[in-house]
Amino acid sequence: MSLVPDETLALVGQEIMRTSGVAVLREGQRYAAAVRDANPLYHDDAYARRYGYRGAILPSLFLQYLVMGAYRLDELRKDGGAATGDAAGIPLPDCPRIMAGGVDWRFHLPVYDGDVVEHTRTLAGIEEKRGRSGSFVLLTSRNTYRRQDGELIAESTSRLIARPAG
Amino acid sequence: MTIERWFEDVEPGMELPASRLAVDPVQMFFFSAATFNGHRIHYDRTWATEVEGYGDLVVHGPLQAALLVRTVTDWIGGGGRLLEFSTQNRGAALLPDQLRFTGRVVRTREKDGQHLVDIELAGQKMDGDEAKTIMPASATVALPEPGR
Repeated sequence: MSLVPDETLALVGQEIMRTSGVAVLREGQRYAAAVRDANPLYHDDAYARRYGYRGAILPSLFLQYLVMGAYRLDELRKDGGAATGDAAGIPLPDCPRIMAGGVDWRFHLPVYDGDVVEHTRTLAGIEEKRGRSGSFVLLTSRNTYRRQDGELIAESTSRLIARPAG
Repeated sequence: MTIERWFEDVEPGMELPASRLAVDPVQMFFFSAATFNGHRIHYDRTWATEVEGYGDLVVHGPLQAALLVRTVTDWIGGGGRLLEFSTQNRGAALLPDQLRFTGRVVRTREKDGQHLVDIELAGQKMDGDEAKTIMPASATVALPEPGR
């Protein structure tokens, strides 16, 4: 029996999410503080300009958070995670246990305070696999992050592993 | 921490300075807050152990990824550019695991006028002096050449 419903398979190649957000330097600095990353590029305009930037930049990996919506707490899953998480919009009723598998990033442009970023996610693949601990589903999605002028900031390919309950 | 890392000074086999650390609940709280992450496995020990079966609170995978990026960006300094970064999640880190983040240059090359360095990275869980890689990763950076 397949773990992937036909209507979910039909989503391969489709855009499954589109979000946008405004880059706020202070939010990037808070993220860097939480990482204990004291890189002056995130704080010091003069330092950043010395290296060819227009001013302080946001941390590269913060891109994925600045486009996140402000979801309502009464819409969270029981485990406190966002129902709008990485597997949102991909119905897999037989595989409720979702784990991150990994991400490949390509960065093209820095992000500055005030940039408007548009994110799109396309479901690139769904594969049913059999591993040591039973069957699972590998979901691959492609993300693009573009600036307000259409320039590509970054791309990522992320892999999620969805397993049956139990 | 103003460092200048020039392409001509880098060779395959070179090690990036490793960091060894233990993430604590305060840092995990701030990381959840900064990334608007409500997942209980990062702050609700009863949930993490009794419902999800972990031995303790779970350190965020994206925090480990960010610590690997820090390993790279601290090494390249302001003049380097992070172009590519890939991670694989192999296992969970729990409180109060000792973690280590390492990197090693595997290749230097030139492409389209850019001076590129490929780096192999590892997020590791320490058991005494034994390291178990729980997040293998890689990065490609561009470094400046003197006079350019």
